[in-house]
Amino acid sequence: MVSLKALATAAAAALCVVGCGSGQSSATPSQAPGAPVTLKIQDYSVEQTDFHKQVAAEYHRLNPNVTIEWTSIAQVQYNQSLPLAFSSRQAPDVFYWTNFGPNAMNSLLASGWIQPWTTDATAAADWEKRWPSGSFLNGITLKGGKVYGFPWQDTHYWGPGYMYMNKAVFQQAGLDVSKPPATWSQLSNACKAIKAKTKAYCIAAPMKDTDFQRLWYALAAGRMSDTFFDYKNGRFSLDDPRLVDTFNYIEGLNKNGYLAPGVNDKDFSRQQFAAGQAGIYMDGPWMVSVWAQLGFHSDGYAVAAHPMPDDTPRGALSQRYSQYAYWLSSQSTHQAEAFKFMRWATNPTGFFVQNFLKNSFATLAFADNKKYLTDPAWKSVFRIADTRAFRVLYPEPLLKCPGLADSKAFTMASTTRPNGEWEVMVQNLVNNRDMTADARVLVNMRQAAFETQLQKEQASGLKVSKDCYTFAGWNYDQDFNPANYPKS
Amino acid sequence: MARGPLADTGRAAAVALDERAVATGRRIPFRGGRDDSRFWIPVFLLPFLVLYVGFTVWPLVATIVYSLFDWDGVQPLTQFIGVDNYTRILGDPLFWSAFRNTLLFAVLNTVIKLPLTLLVAVLLTRRWLLFKRFFRTVFFLPIILPVALSGLIFTYLLNPSNGALNTFLLEHGLLRQPIDLLGHDNTALLAIVLISVWQIFGQYMLYWMAALTQVPEELYEAADLDGANERQKMFHVTLPLIRPVAVIITLLALVNALHVFGIIVTLTAGGPGRATYVVSYFIYSEAFQNAPFRYGYASAAALIFAVLAFVFVSGQGLLARRAERLRQHYGV
Repeated sequence: MVSLKALATAAAAALCVVGCGSGQSSATPSQAPGAPVTLKIQDYSVEQTDFHKQVAAEYHRLNPNVTIEWTSIAQVQYNQSLPLAFSSRQAPDVFYWTNFGPNAMNSLLASGWIQPWTTDATAAADWEKRWPSGSFLNGITLKGGKVYGFPWQDTHYWGPGYMYMNKAVFQQAGLDVSKPPATWSQLSNACKAIKAKTKAYCIAAPMKDTDFQRLWYALAAGRMSDTFFDYKNGRFSLDDPRLVDTFNYIEGLNKNGYLAPGVNDKDFSRQQFAAGQAGIYMDGPWMVSVWAQLGFHSDGYAVAAHPMPDDTPRGALSQRYSQYAYWLSSQSTHQAEAFKFMRWATNPTGFFVQNFLKNSFATLAFADNKKYLTDPAWKSVFRIADTRAFRVLYPEPLLKCPGLADSKAFTMASTTRPNGEWEVMVQNLVNNRDMTADARVLVNMRQAAFETQLQKEQASGLKVSKDCYTFAGWNYDQDFNPANYPKS
Repeated sequence: MARGPLADTGRAAAVALDERAVATGRRIPFRGGRDDSRFWIPVFLLPFLVLYVGFTVWPLVATIVYSLFDWDGVQPLTQFIGVDNYTRILGDPLFWSAFRNTLLFAVLNTVIKLPLTLLVAVLLTRRWLLFKRFFRTVFFLPIILPVALSGLIFTYLLNPSNGALNTFLLEHGLLRQPIDLLGHDNTALLAIVLISVWQIFGQYMLYWMAALTQVPEELYEAADLDGANERQKMFHVTLPLIRPVAVIITLLALVNALHVFGIIVTLTAGGPGRATYVVSYFIYSEAFQNAPFRYGYASAAALIFAVLAFVFVSGQGLLARRAERLRQHYGV
């Protein structure tokens, strides 16, 4: 009986342990030089999974003591699982995070998620030379003289605003892809021809969730901006007459039957375009690799800049300090190995860069993209983005007011109902309604939250104000001159 | 207490002890010679208690605590804000829009699926019907499909660009323009209700079939002798007798429908715009969709919704008890 009791007690205890969880940490203690190390990297570049395996194999060949475990999962799941990994102390060594744009480093530091890539200032200085000067900025990638972030994708070519034209559809409609619609009225006329002469829809425009951004950014940037914040006046801007005008133009396209019907997601719209069911699709240069994965190559389509409004005012796409993708986890005990790997990966002429660009995954901030991206579609992308005022450098409030590093005002205001802009636009678009009233409600909500929080922070001694977000002398179609930031 | 011949004086003494205990109101010890119940009862209860506390009580308590904080789910719980989350939710138009949609979905879903599934269940329990197993399988199949797959199927079927339904209707001249059922405020929720009914149809059909088999066959034979037709048998025999079970099935259907989530995610993601936001999707999007997560806010929304579900469940309990009395009254 005693042994039965003991057995039962042990079983119950074991169950309790399982039920309560062991709370075991994934972090391993620091290793001696040359000891086996496993570097865990996580991102949501699922399309790069095979490439990551090649990278891991090559790096392991060069560094037999280092094993790279690179995991890519879908973005939605990633955004949910990474914070949970941090809170359960099972974070990867290196992780991908681009939320909060230029304020990413401050936000991640506030969360306690990151550590500097190296404590060796000399090594960091040498490494920084791989990027154009001005790429590493205090308050954005540097803090206390230490490097926390580094530019990954380039921000000149990379971004929305490109118009892809299906050659077969254009040909059927009697249109010439070498003379793409350059203005809104020309776009309407091209759609009219496609609708009249082909069975295809004119524009494949995804609208599900946040996917309306694919079309919106391209057209809104022509009129004003691809952001929902007016940096000239320091206010949220969906109700700005220029953006309302852009919406009205798109609504006109929809009323005329020029947008493929349905609240579709981006994948569906992309397949429509690749299958010749739509003549036009607007998105970023990443589509070159996406089309290739769909078996649709650049002999079947052409790339052009987004059409501009026929009249003024005009705007441009935004170039921002926002592509700091990979970060070193504060929970990693492999700082030196992680930095060594990243030095290897960012070698402008190395294995990683050559094969990354060969696969057309992105343009990189530390590489000669034109040298390795030779597909005709990429040549078009380079030509378009090199055109003056296609994409302009936006002012960065953080560089005007370093105190914003500790401010939550903008993040709070813009992440309360984060999809609000898309929801307002799509709901009014599918119902053929004027969006002004709904846009105003949303803008008022954001602006009130923004200014109230700024006032609270100001009262607590933080040097922040709405003026930090106001650049009255700058225009939406011109580069902001960094010399105009106040000297610290 | 059962009495019988006792073999030894020890047991006789134990019985005498029991009688004294009963007389004095004291606890009766376990019949094994030794009082092991103090050990074994907790041991056998422990596994259940651990799981119940771990997966029911603790999450509930934690949700209440989180709802009182401005918490992103990651940082330490430091920013206590009292009932601020509740105040904000009560003034949040999107929450109330989601709340309204949830109720509308639950009521429409229940009102449509229950009569339809009852009708099919009645047909499938008729003696004269051939291929009953085949029909049962056909109606039950959709419930086996994962919700995500159902979403994909209907996304394709209903798509106005090249979906099968629109293509068929257009090619046969039944439509001049494609219809976008999931793309308009007025039709999106109704379309989701119908798809949901399609998916859950087999489950409620089985519930009704189980209820119908409880009706004694003799009553139908007696009704036949009295010359009752099928309609009269339905309204004067079948429906009154299954009414107690029907109350439970109805409330079960309502409570289940209040938790609608997967079909919304796969079909519309709350859209177009916010037209099909339901409370579960609202909670999910606040808690997990965009960083920084608003876990505290989502917890408060979940609790408010839980109160609503509790009201339904309590109502279910009251009505179920009444239904049980009715069931005993009818002898089924």
